[in-house]
Amino acid sequence: MLGWHLARREQPLRGGQTRAVATGMLLALVAGAFLLVLSGENPLDVYTTMADAAFGSSRGWSTTLGRAVPLGLAGLAVAVAGSMGLWNIGAEGQIIAGAIFGAWVARLLPDANGFVLITVMLIGSVLGGGLLALIPAITRARLGVNEIITTLMLNEIIIRVVRYLVNGPWKDPNSAGFPQAPPLPAQAALPTLFGRANIGVLIAAGVLAGFGFYASRSKWGYELRLAGSSEKTAEYAGISLRRKILTVLTLSGAIAGLAGGIELTGSSSRLVEGVANGWGFAGIIVAALALMRPSGVAAVAIAFGAVQVGGLAIQVSGVPASIANILQALILFGALIAGVFGQYRPVRTRTTSSVTAAAA
Amino acid sequence: MSITTGAAPGEVGGDGVHLENIWKRFPGVIANAGAELHVRPGSVHAVLGENGAGKTTLMNVLAGVYRPDEGTVRLNGIEQNFNSPADALAAGVAMVHQEFRLIPTFTVAENVALGSSPVLVRKREIEQQVSELADRFGLQTTANREVWNLSMGERQRVEILKALWRDARVLILDEPTAVLTPDEADELGRIVATMAEDGRSIIFISHKLGEVTRFCDTATVLRGGATVASSMAVEHLDAANLAELMVGENTEVSQRRARVHPADLDTPVLTVADMRVLDSHGITSVDGVSLSIGTGEVVGVAGVAGNGQRPLADAIAGLVDSEEGSVVVAATDVSAVGPKDRIAAGLSYVPEDRLGVGLAPKLSVTENSMMRSYASVGRGPLIDRAAADAQCTELVDRYRVKVGGLHHAIAGLSGGNLQRLLVGRELATDPAVIIAAQPTRGLDVQGVRAIQDVLIDQAESGVGILLISEDLDELLALSDRIVVMVEGRIVAEFPGEEATRALVGQAMTGGA
Repeated sequence: MLGWHLARREQPLRGGQTRAVATGMLLALVAGAFLLVLSGENPLDVYTTMADAAFGSSRGWSTTLGRAVPLGLAGLAVAVAGSMGLWNIGAEGQIIAGAIFGAWVARLLPDANGFVLITVMLIGSVLGGGLLALIPAITRARLGVNEIITTLMLNEIIIRVVRYLVNGPWKDPNSAGFPQAPPLPAQAALPTLFGRANIGVLIAAGVLAGFGFYASRSKWGYELRLAGSSEKTAEYAGISLRRKILTVLTLSGAIAGLAGGIELTGSSSRLVEGVANGWGFAGIIVAALALMRPSGVAAVAIAFGAVQVGGLAIQVSGVPASIANILQALILFGALIAGVFGQYRPVRTRTTSSVTAAAA
Repeated sequence: MSITTGAAPGEVGGDGVHLENIWKRFPGVIANAGAELHVRPGSVHAVLGENGAGKTTLMNVLAGVYRPDEGTVRLNGIEQNFNSPADALAAGVAMVHQEFRLIPTFTVAENVALGSSPVLVRKREIEQQVSELADRFGLQTTANREVWNLSMGERQRVEILKALWRDARVLILDEPTAVLTPDEADELGRIVATMAEDGRSIIFISHKLGEVTRFCDTATVLRGGATVASSMAVEHLDAANLAELMVGENTEVSQRRARVHPADLDTPVLTVADMRVLDSHGITSVDGVSLSIGTGEVVGVAGVAGNGQRPLADAIAGLVDSEEGSVVVAATDVSAVGPKDRIAAGLSYVPEDRLGVGLAPKLSVTENSMMRSYASVGRGPLIDRAAADAQCTELVDRYRVKVGGLHHAIAGLSGGNLQRLLVGRELATDPAVIIAAQPTRGLDVQGVRAIQDVLIDQAESGVGILLISEDLDELLALSDRIVVMVEGRIVAEFPGEEATRALVGQAMTGGA
């Protein structure tokens, strides 16, 4: 049996993850160039348009950062759970729950002043996401029910809840039949920071920086990594796994909920069914590229946002939408695959099975 | 010493299984060194030996998992050259592993027929055939039940059925009674006898003398990878000579470490009373163990692997719950509290599974070194990284751990360095008592010496040590007292100066 297999690197490459991901993206751009040539485009022009749209102007930067906000928060939510070996596949649903709670607060306090209203709405959205995640947290901690399944299934449930709300009790009577809630009070919109970015960028940057620092430097973060290494090791070190699972999964949901609140107040300005817009699922990719390290999420989220903005821009400039989508997918795919080589190295497979097993 | 009694050696090359002069080397280990095995058709043949004697390797050679470096495998006079377990199965050799290989959501019949039935399967027909086969050999089972709701004994019968379904003429059962209740074990004995009557050869790997004399006709004993007794009749086997065969003659008296400060037995640092522990299958793994360790006393726990030593250690450390019993560490009753409070009361634990339990392979040297102390490194919620590194440097220097860098993952360290780091960390908390499980296993001579020196130094300074080891020489050299565990119970106790390999070995095999 000659061939290759992947072996985990005992010592991670120095700066290897960044290098590997960058190489992967570059290779994807080269592959994409062939595709563009085949469809009659000039790859150089297309790539220039993409880079320009994402980073070439204050407007471009603001759009990129605006997209990085939900991506980064959802990525952080997944990464916080992932650093102790838990999979939160439910960030999408938790974003929706956050938006629902935020919208509910706005319905209750329509006349509050802007600062108070926004603050309470965001607190509400944190609670909403956290509460939704509390269900899989309890079932995992108490009964050992696999959180991948429960968080994933809850997405389906909450999406029906929001659909019911915007089609039923919270439906805007003036929306000409569109399934959407009435607009939020004007003072509930997040103030603009620059260009198309609102102060959600600052909130997300604060949360990401805070967690990045806290997870890598605190006792809490250390316990998280121990538990992520092995449950047995964590128990041996005297850590209460149940409590850890409960708090970490709930926290993960709360962070995703905050993303929902910021989307609601900053971008959609009313509750709609598609408020989560796939951010929660994209967050899984963001977290995976950041190797589940909260400190790496922000950079990945910005890069991810830029790819999306660039992809949109070339569609506007006349590149067929399908090609633009393939390009986006290629770049992410290249980054993900290359990321594997930051963690693993290819090894020649030797013949018989006897080399793998030690004597008994 | 080599004994050849019972079956005549002249029948080499005749019917049945013949393994001759089998050598198998792994990096750093010679697992089989000229081992042989001869099993007649229609017999139940025991293969005995300590852990590491080479039993499993020899069986894997017969079952096609390993290719021997040297030696021949003959079945019914024909030389075999197995390249895979599938080859061995085609030639009629099947192995029932300790870990069952069944699909829980499939029925008994589906598991049995899986991989060896025509493309189109009539469910009823297969169930019918499996039932008939089971009846023929007295295997009680229900062909259409799903495996997940079967007991361990029933699952084992499905594994045996799988072998019979493929018409295996040679069945290797690897420690088949380890997962069974006593009643199920007796049932297995009857099944094995029926299969032998049918002309099949059964190879029964076991540590337990009682089972061997009840279920088997002949026995082969391995030691250090070689066969020291080939095909002896089990009637000739008793506890004394089996122990001698398995652990070797007491030719050299183990050098006992001289102690400067004798142990103070009046002030116990660890008292365990009537401890009972169930394993994950609900089978009793520790059965009413009581023991006490005095200040500065080293108590050795001897026993063949899997006789309750590991769950005993885990239960004392609070990592598994005990059904009954109490644990007192240095006058604090910790029976009702978790691992953290037991550590605080003065208990340290060097677990058998270094990288899976005691250390986190992906974390750095510093992060591993602060597993016990992180709560107090730095004020408030943050860890003082400089202080953690300083603490780690001290540990690494003191116990001479060779590391690439404090912030490198420990996965790259050698076994000896890992163990120095682990032991050093466990001693840094100034414990009253240390549980050391297989503390020197897999280490080179210097590593063994270093760890043993550290343990004895600790005992001299008044720390009580519960030393669990499969290395009899280590136990004899270090222990003030040796207790022997068999099937979860302490069956014998010897003062250190009176214990010998023969006495302890005899107690280990159940013949105290």
